[in-house]
Amino acid sequence: MTAYPRENSGELAAFERIMSQCERRVLRVALRLLSNPQDAQDAAQEVFLRLYKHLAHLDQTRGYEPWLYRVTVNVCRDTARVRRRSVALEDVPDLVAPQPDAYHDAARAQQREIIRRGLSCLGEKERAALVLRDVEGLSTREVAGILDSSENTVRSQICSARLKLRDFTGRLLRRRS
Amino acid sequence: MSCLKFVNDIALYAGGDLPAGRIGRIESHLAECPDCRALAEELRASRVLLGELRDEPLEDAMVAHVRQRVMAEVRAATRQPSRLYWKLALAATLALLAVLMRPRPHPAKKVLAHSVGAPRATAGSHAAQTVVPVARKSRHRYHRAPAAAQPGPPLLVQFVTDDPNIVIYWLVNPKTQGG
Repeated sequence: MTAYPRENSGELAAFERIMSQCERRVLRVALRLLSNPQDAQDAAQEVFLRLYKHLAHLDQTRGYEPWLYRVTVNVCRDTARVRRRSVALEDVPDLVAPQPDAYHDAARAQQREIIRRGLSCLGEKERAALVLRDVEGLSTREVAGILDSSENTVRSQICSARLKLRDFTGRLLRRRS
Repeated sequence: MSCLKFVNDIALYAGGDLPAGRIGRIESHLAECPDCRALAEELRASRVLLGELRDEPLEDAMVAHVRQRVMAEVRAATRQPSRLYWKLALAATLALLAVLMRPRPHPAKKVLAHSVGAPRATAGSHAAQTVVPVARKSRHRYHRAPAAAQPGPPLLVQFVTDDPNIVIYWLVNPKTQGG
C-alpha cells in the first residue's frame, strides 16, 4: 500500500486548495494525452495522490504546475503503455453534415475533433511536447524542463508533430472529399 | 523539391518556435513560394485549433468524480495507523503478556503458633483458648496487603477444655475470619 503522510488538517486543506486550482488542467492534459475519459480520470487520480504524498517535499517557491505537468505526462505515459490504445484513420467516424443555422460552430467543432483524433495518432513524446506547447501554451523552455530534455529536442518533436498532424488532417479531408 | 529543406523550419515558424537567426531566411522563402505559404497557413490553423482544445469545457461530473475518488483515498489512507503505532502496540502487548505469565512465588506458609496454655478453671464451662493470633484488621479500609489477596492456609484454633481428654480444633478461613 502507498505510504501517505499522517492526516494533518492544514496539509489536507492546502492539498485540497491546490487540487481545486489544478484539477481541470491535469484532467485536460491527461485527456489529450490518453484520448480516453476513463483513462484520463484514472491518471488524474494517480497524479493527485502522488501530489499528496510528496506535498511536504515540493518546493513551493517554484509552484506546483511544472511538477504536476511532469507527473501527469509520466503517469499518462505509463497508462498508455498498459492500455495501448491508438486510433487509426479508419476509426475516425464520418462527420455528420452540420445544420445550416449552426454551420460555423459545428464545422469548428468537427475540425477540433479531427485535431483531437490526430493527436492520438502521434507518438507519445511528440504528443506530450505538442500538447504542452500548443494546447497548454507553455514555452519551449518550460516544455523542455517538464519533459527533462533539451530545447532543441523539444523543437524537433514539436516540428515533427505539427507536420504529422497536418498530414493526418489532410488525408482525412481528402478521404471525405 | 527545393522547398523540402524549408519544411521543418516552416513548422517551427508557424508556432513561433524558430530561432531568431533563421527567421529572415524563411520569411524570404515564404514571400516567393505560394505552396510554402499555404503550408504555413495550414500549420497556423492547426495550432489555433489546438489552442481551442484548451478552452473546451470539461464535464463537471468528470472533475467531481476525480476529486471524490482522490479525497476518499487520501482520507482512508491517512486513517491507517502508522508503522510506529503498530510497533508500539506490539511492544505493549508483549510486555503485558510477560507480566501476566511470569512465575509467581508461593505465598509463605504460615507457621501456626501452636501452644497450649494452662486451662482456665471455670466451673461448669468449657475454657477455650485461642493459640493462634488472628491477623489484625487493617486500619485502612482500602488497603490490601498482597498476601491478603491470596487465600492462605486455614488457621487452626485449638480449644482446650477442662477435660484433658477433650480437645476441640477449629479450622478458620482467614479470609472470612478477618472480615
